[in-house]
Formats: sequence, C-alpha cells, structure tokens
Amino acid sequence: MSARMAEPVLSVRALEVAFMASGRPVPAVRGIDLDVHANEVLGIVGESGSGKSVTSLAISGLLPPTARVRGSIRLGGVEITEADHETLRRMRGVDVGMVFQDPTTTLNPVFTIGRQLTEGQIAHGRLRADAARARAIELLREVDIPDPAGRVIQYPHQFSGGMRQRAVIAMAMAGHPRLIIADEPTTALDVTVQAQVLSLLARRQAETGAAVILITHDLGVIAEMAHRVAVMYGGRIVESGPVEQIFARPRHPYTVALLRSLPRLDGGAARLEPIPGQPPAPSNLPPGCAFHPRCAVARDRARCRTEEPGLRACGPAHLSACHFVEEVPAPSLPRESDGAQPARPAVRRDSEPLLTVENLQVHFPIKAGILRRRIGWLRAVDGVSLTVHEGETVGLVGESGCGKTTTGRAVMGLVRVTGGRIRFGGRDITALGRGAMRQVRRHMQYVFQDPFASLNPIKSAGEIVAEPLRIHGLYDEMGGAGRIARLFEMVGLSPGMMGRFPHEFSGGQKQRIGIARALALEPRLLILDEPVASLDVSIQAQIINLLQDLQRELRLAYLFIAHDLSVVRHISDRVAVMYLGRIVEESEKQALYATPVHPYTQSLLSAVPVPDPTVRGVRRRIVLEGEIPNPASPPPGCAFHPRCFRASARCSAEAPAFLPYPGLPTRAACHHAGPLIPAPGAKHPQEVA
Amino acid sequence: MIGYILRRLAQLLPVLLLASVGIWAMVYAIPGGPVGMILGENATPEQIAALRAELGLDRPVIVQYWAWLTNALAGDLGVSLHSRQPVVSLIGERLPATIQLGLAATVVGLLIGIPVAVASALMPGSWLDRALSGWSALALGVPTFWLGILLILLFAVHLRWLPSASGYVPFWESPIEMLRNILLPALTLGIYVSGIFARFLRASLVAELRADYVRTARSKGLPERDVVGRHVMRNAMLPFVTIVGLMMANFIGGTVVTEAVFTYPGLGRLLITAISTRDYPLIQGCILVILVIYILINVMVDVLYAYIDPRIEYA
Repeated sequence: MSARMAEPVLSVRALEVAFMASGRPVPAVRGIDLDVHANEVLGIVGESGSGKSVTSLAISGLLPPTARVRGSIRLGGVEITEADHETLRRMRGVDVGMVFQDPTTTLNPVFTIGRQLTEGQIAHGRLRADAARARAIELLREVDIPDPAGRVIQYPHQFSGGMRQRAVIAMAMAGHPRLIIADEPTTALDVTVQAQVLSLLARRQAETGAAVILITHDLGVIAEMAHRVAVMYGGRIVESGPVEQIFARPRHPYTVALLRSLPRLDGGAARLEPIPGQPPAPSNLPPGCAFHPRCAVARDRARCRTEEPGLRACGPAHLSACHFVEEVPAPSLPRESDGAQPARPAVRRDSEPLLTVENLQVHFPIKAGILRRRIGWLRAVDGVSLTVHEGETVGLVGESGCGKTTTGRAVMGLVRVTGGRIRFGGRDITALGRGAMRQVRRHMQYVFQDPFASLNPIKSAGEIVAEPLRIHGLYDEMGGAGRIARLFEMVGLSPGMMGRFPHEFSGGQKQRIGIARALALEPRLLILDEPVASLDVSIQAQIINLLQDLQRELRLAYLFIAHDLSVVRHISDRVAVMYLGRIVEESEKQALYATPVHPYTQSLLSAVPVPDPTVRGVRRRIVLEGEIPNPASPPPGCAFHPRCFRASARCSAEAPAFLPYPGLPTRAACHHAGPLIPAPGAKHPQEVA
Repeated sequence: MIGYILRRLAQLLPVLLLASVGIWAMVYAIPGGPVGMILGENATPEQIAALRAELGLDRPVIVQYWAWLTNALAGDLGVSLHSRQPVVSLIGERLPATIQLGLAATVVGLLIGIPVAVASALMPGSWLDRALSGWSALALGVPTFWLGILLILLFAVHLRWLPSASGYVPFWESPIEMLRNILLPALTLGIYVSGIFARFLRASLVAELRADYVRTARSKGLPERDVVGRHVMRNAMLPFVTIVGLMMANFIGGTVVTEAVFTYPGLGRLLITAISTRDYPLIQGCILVILVIYILINVMVDVLYAYIDPRIEYA
C-alpha cells in the first residue's frame, strides 16, 4: 500500500465533458475526480450512457473536436485539458496505452501485426525501423503468442479473436506506458478466452507495475481484477472505494441495486430484483440525484429530487454520493428465499415432450474456386439431441461457433436439416414443406438477440407486433387491435406506445416488443436466442423476470440459447452444453452447476468471473489453452481433446458417446467423465492463483 | 502473384469467347447486313449472291464464326468495307492515342480528385467541405463539349499557349509536344472525372475515419498524417480503385465528344464513323479491342485489390 502514498500516475479533478448536439451542450461527464497510482487497477463500472468511455477518451486526449472539456487531467506532469495536439500525440503510446473492446475492429486489416505493434514506437523515435521486427517478436512473446517469429508477419485476419486481443495488449504496452486504459477489453471474447486475456492482463500489469484503468459493465471482471472501484451513473462517480468494500458493503443505492439485479453463478434461485426504469440518456438527465427515479432509498423525497448529492466519505477510502447513506441497505440482506419466486406448475416429464430433437445434423457446404465446387462440409450441428417439455426451460449454452444458434434455427425450419429428426407437438416436422412448416411455426416463435436490428425501423411498434397475426391471416379472428393492446400490457409496455417507432424505444423496451411479437400467435414454444445479451445489466433482470412470468402464466416452453452461464443457470430447468456442434453434457440445472462431469463444462464454469472479490485467488480456475477450433476441420476423436486437461490417447482416436453418467441425472460425452477432484489425474489443469 | 494474374486471365477466356460470339453475331442482328450496305438498294440478286460468296456469307454459320474467330486470334480482323484497309491497322493507328489520352485524363482526375476528397473528408460539414462538394457537382454537371470549347477559347484562341486541335504525338517522340497536344483534352475529361473520384473517395474516407482502428492508431501516438495517409487511405482505396478502373475503361472508346471537340484521333471517333457507315468488320474490331482492354483493366483492379487487402488471397 506504499504506492498510495506516492504521487498518483493520473489525477483527474472536476472533469466535465459535454458534446454539442443541435446547438446545446449535452453533458456526458459531470464533474469527476479520479486518482490512479502505479501498481494499481482502478475498475470503472457503469451502464451505457454513464460516461465511463468518454472519461477514458478524455484522459487519452482522443475526444472528438466537438467535445467541450473542463476541469483538470494531470498525467505524468502534463495537464491534458490544456495540452496542444502535438503534446497529446507524444504522450499517447508513451505515457498512456489503450486496449479497446473489439479486437476484430481495433486492428487495421491491411497491415501486418508486427507493423502495427511497433509503428507507434517508431513514430515516437523510440525504436529504430531496423530493430522493429525483433522488438515485435519480443512483444508477441511477452503476451504468450506461440511462434511469435512466424506470427509477426501475419495479418489480423489470420489471428483468432483471443490472439488479436493479446496483440492489442502488447501494442498498448509496447512503449512501457505508466497508465493503461482498458475499455471493455474482454466483452467481445468468449468466456474461456476472456479468462486467458484477463490473466494475461493481470500478469503484464504486475510485471510492468503500470497503473490500469479497467472499464467494464461486468461486475465479475471488476471483482476479479480491480483493487479499487469507481461506480459511474449519469456522468458522475456515485461511489468509489476498495473492491472488497464495494462488494461487501456498498454504500450507494445504485451499487446495491446492481449487485442485487445480477444473476450469479453463486446465487440462489430467488427472483431477480431488477432496477426499475432505465439508465438515463445524457441529454435527458433527471434533476437532483440522477438515480432518484429508480432509487429504492429515495422514496420520492424532495431532497433527492432537487439537490445533487456530492461524494462523501462513508468509510476508509470509501466515498458515496447519496443523501441518505445511512439508509442504504446491505446487499447481503436476506435475499428473498426460493419461495419468493412465484410457484409455477411442475413440469410433467412423463408426458411426451413438446419438442424432441434427435441426432440433429446441419452441415453447410464449403465452396471454393470459380465453379463454386464443394470442397468440404462445415458441421455446424453434428448430432444434437434434446427435449423440451411444456412449461419447461432448457438452456443451450456454448461459446461462439458451437452451433447453438444453428440448432435453434434448424428447429424453426430456417436452415435445412442434413440429418436427424425434429418432433414438435407429437408430429415429425423435419421435412415439412413450406406451407405446412408455416402452420407449425405458428406454435413456435423466435426472439432474436439484437433488438436494434430485428425490428423494422419504418413500422410502428403496433404494426410489428401485429405482423405475425396478419401473415397468418388471424388478425381479426384473434381480436385485432384489442389483442395487440393486451400483448403490450403482457410485456409491460403501455398500449399507448403502439403508434411509436422502434427508434423511440430503449433497448429493453425493444426487446419487450420482440417478445410481444413472438407471443402474438399464442405459441407453445419460444426459441430465445441470446435475448438479454445486448442489454444493460439493470435491464437484463427486468427481461428475465418478464420471461419467467410469461412462462408461468402461459405455460410456455423455452429453448434458451445463451453464452452467459449465470443467466442460463438462473432461468433454466435443464441445461445442455455445446462444443463444436455437439452437446457434451446435459443435466438438471442443479446437478450441472454443482457437479459438472465433462471437463469442458468444468472449465467453462471455472472461467466465469464471479462478482465476489473474496474468492479471488481462492477459487480454483482452469484456464483452457488455445481457442475453439475451426468447425470446418474439427480435431479427430473427441473435438475437445486438444484443449482438455484429462485427454488421453483414446480421446484423439475415438469420439466419445453421449451416455448417462451414473448417480446423476446427467448425460455426458466424455471418455473420462467425472466430477472435479482436488488432485486431478494424469494431466494437471493449469491453475491460476 | 504472377500465377494469380495468369489464373485470373485464364478465367476470362470463357467470357471473351462468349463476347466474341455476340460481337460476331451482331452482323446478323441488323437488317440489311453488310451486303445491303455495300451494294445499296438497287442491287440485283446476282450481284448480291456474288458478294455473299465473296464475303463468305453463304457458308454455314458455324463455319463462318470459326473462320472469323481463328482469323481474329491470328490478328486478322478483316478489311474495312469503307476504306478497304485492314481493320487491325486502322485500330492500331488510333489505339495508342486513345490509351495516352485515357491515362492522361485519369492522372488529371486523380491529381484534382484525391486532394479534394481528402480535404473535405477531414473536415466534414465545414465550409471547405461544402465548397469542394460544389466543385464536384460542377465538374460532373458541366458538359464536356462546353468545357472543351471554353478551354480552347482560353488557352488556344485567347492566350495562344496551346494548339486548338490536338493531334497524337507519342510521348517518346517529343514529351513536350505530347503534353502541349494532350493537355486540353486531358483536362476536359480529367475535370469531369475528378468530380466522380472526389465523391467516391470522400465517402469512403469518411466511413473509414470512423473505424475503430483509426482510434487505435491515434492511441499509439501516430502523427495524424500517418493515421490518414497510411491507415485510413489504404482502406479507403479499396472501393476507390474500382471506380478508377471503371472510369479508365470508360475512356477507351467512350470519349467521342471530347475527341470531336479537339479533333483528336481516338478510338471513339473511329467507332462512331464505323457505325454511321455500317462498316461491320471495323465495328466488330473496335468493340473487340475495347472489350479486351476493359477486361484487362478489370484484372488489374482485382490484382490491386489483392495487393491492398491481404484478406483477399491470391487464390
């Protein structure tokens, strides 16, 4: 803690940033103070519009010219708000390095990785052009990229996503900056790759002693990485303090509400407590405390509505901006017990399932050459079997490219099935014609991930919801406008909003419209493809609760496709884990999360960052090596064996069958299936302390 | 790389073969045909039969096509019906002039268009951007014949710096004379095409400047001239190269008006004359040559594409 005493690397005081929009300033950051010291990771948490990314751009002097900046940012003795362009340029890459969110777009596709790694240092005159290659190789080696000499002359598209982000980290650290700003550095990555990148970032931070600002919406990542945390809301820091304090005894109602709204791997099955409303847009901030309209503590008191609270000390190095700090409840107040979740009728497994998928295969041809000849098959789905009963939620989890979305689309008849059978409502729908399939689709509907792209922007919300009824010629039969109004109410939207257009809705509201549309035809099965993945944390909980209410009221069956294991755990009755086109493990939710037997499930679960800093270093973590192979050329035998810590010779030769695991309600496809034991056998998992 | 170019060229053979059928069949698509053209309306059936035999038109269609094709491949495109000179030598006189003008006009277009595009893309919405957009609209909107006449009036009639009629002077014979002759027609075409170049490149630059990699490049502390000149420009070049290629191809045979204004001996005027006199072998020859050059330019564009963007493989 001696670092605290020293001069901070970065010191921000009363920073305000506003953008000009239609002639008036829109405040994005409204007066924040920050200090970051060497050897310290400051986590900044916030939802969209909280001002966290604008803050980071202000610190690196990368704000667009339309931004108006006031206050003070001191970095390495330079006052950034007053510095000219050339001073700022010379500071970037030397005093501050940046890691951005999406490594596929942050690298320039037309230049080699090596060139992009070193061009900054060459421009700063800190590296001679003839030494660049050797330095680039060294940088790649430092971030654990295998064969750095061969990789350095490759282009970004030849790197996998995780390797690209490693290269971006290497790039940010190339000039040994004293400050590194990482803005959502793992949000675009799969969870097993996220684990690799986070541990790399932590290792390089420790090795270089740099100060790090880690900006993220993911409280799990914060708990795992940060030393201190600043929580941002409405352009201000509403709470800051040591990470243990923030998680154990948060002192701002927003922080408490965030922690409570989160589905957690280590949480109970209780109903989530969403934060009502939505994060405010910078152009439309509420007066007084920006959080008061959503706050459980404010209770509409005049002080909250009129007076903006300042940050006040509420513990050692712990600040909170709340008028009624002493009233803020502890997050560990008894969470509503399991009984709080309204009871729903038990799922009857003895009857015939609503949906049965047997050995489903979907192969896409890979074509090449002028004549577009088929040169191979991409086995997107390669033998998937699952059942969904009425009123049941089956979660389908896996990382990108595992075939979970293709499975959902195949069930809907949106892609051609190569092999296997799909039964729905007692009827084989595998090879139905267009007309017959359309009739079936009335009873199963799809909810898409991206509520922004899946609603037609030129139709009103009412028209969008009515469209399925019109397509099936049932608009009048099913109640016309009255039916649409009822659907709006069902998903928690006011029927008065029917005439509005998609751009007038927030992300969460758009997803509600998507759900209303899916419900219009009174389906029996909803295929939900990442329905909450693009929503803010506080909104996620609202949508999850809505889905659970609707299921209970309408006895809906859900096939819930997602990558987020915590969300899947919260909502599912049973869970299937996919890897490279196959289900590797499937079980009752409790059994799968408590006693996973497939090594992939085990690694996946251990890779999820848990929003609890006290388990950092205690919780055992299996960091998988490598990344998901190309499904066009899967490894022989068990597709997981090259990354598996239990793999034996048999695994590379023989694909394991999908068999029941004795003593558990589990089926798994593994030659060496079994619970994790304290001392694993032949090959030890790589453990990270 | 060379293998890639050869393969790309080989892939074009079927295209060329198909096009040759079309070009050859054109003769039959037009009422009257060459015989009526040569002999006029009052020809006797005997005269017609004799000429048909002389021209080989009495042979089966396949045989005729095969003969035409093999001759064309051997470099013999027949004899002009009008001037009785070999088509190959007629085209051969005009082609270098046309290529020289096309290249010169492209260079002028790029010299004006690229700076205009960069300047306006860097300050979108500024007065400079709006002024330069105005320039692009003007360049596109002014008819080339009128611009050509204005240039002649200014530089040839009024200032007497340059000749009013532009002949073809090969570059290697006298670079200065060549420049004096080509400057006015090249300016006429180049100003027009600079409007197109500027618009496309500006749009492409504005889109690329918003890309994430630009922020990354800036965050490394690269000077702005490197960010724009290297990172942005190279990506913005991709769609731009296509448009430049298209316009260059357009200059081969598509510059009749400018050629007429400057009495420049280009391929365009040859083709128009051939069409108006229904000189079928000459029409066929001109179109075939224009088509081959068009295809070659397209291959060049593809190769450039693969050179600029490593994601496009030489495969």
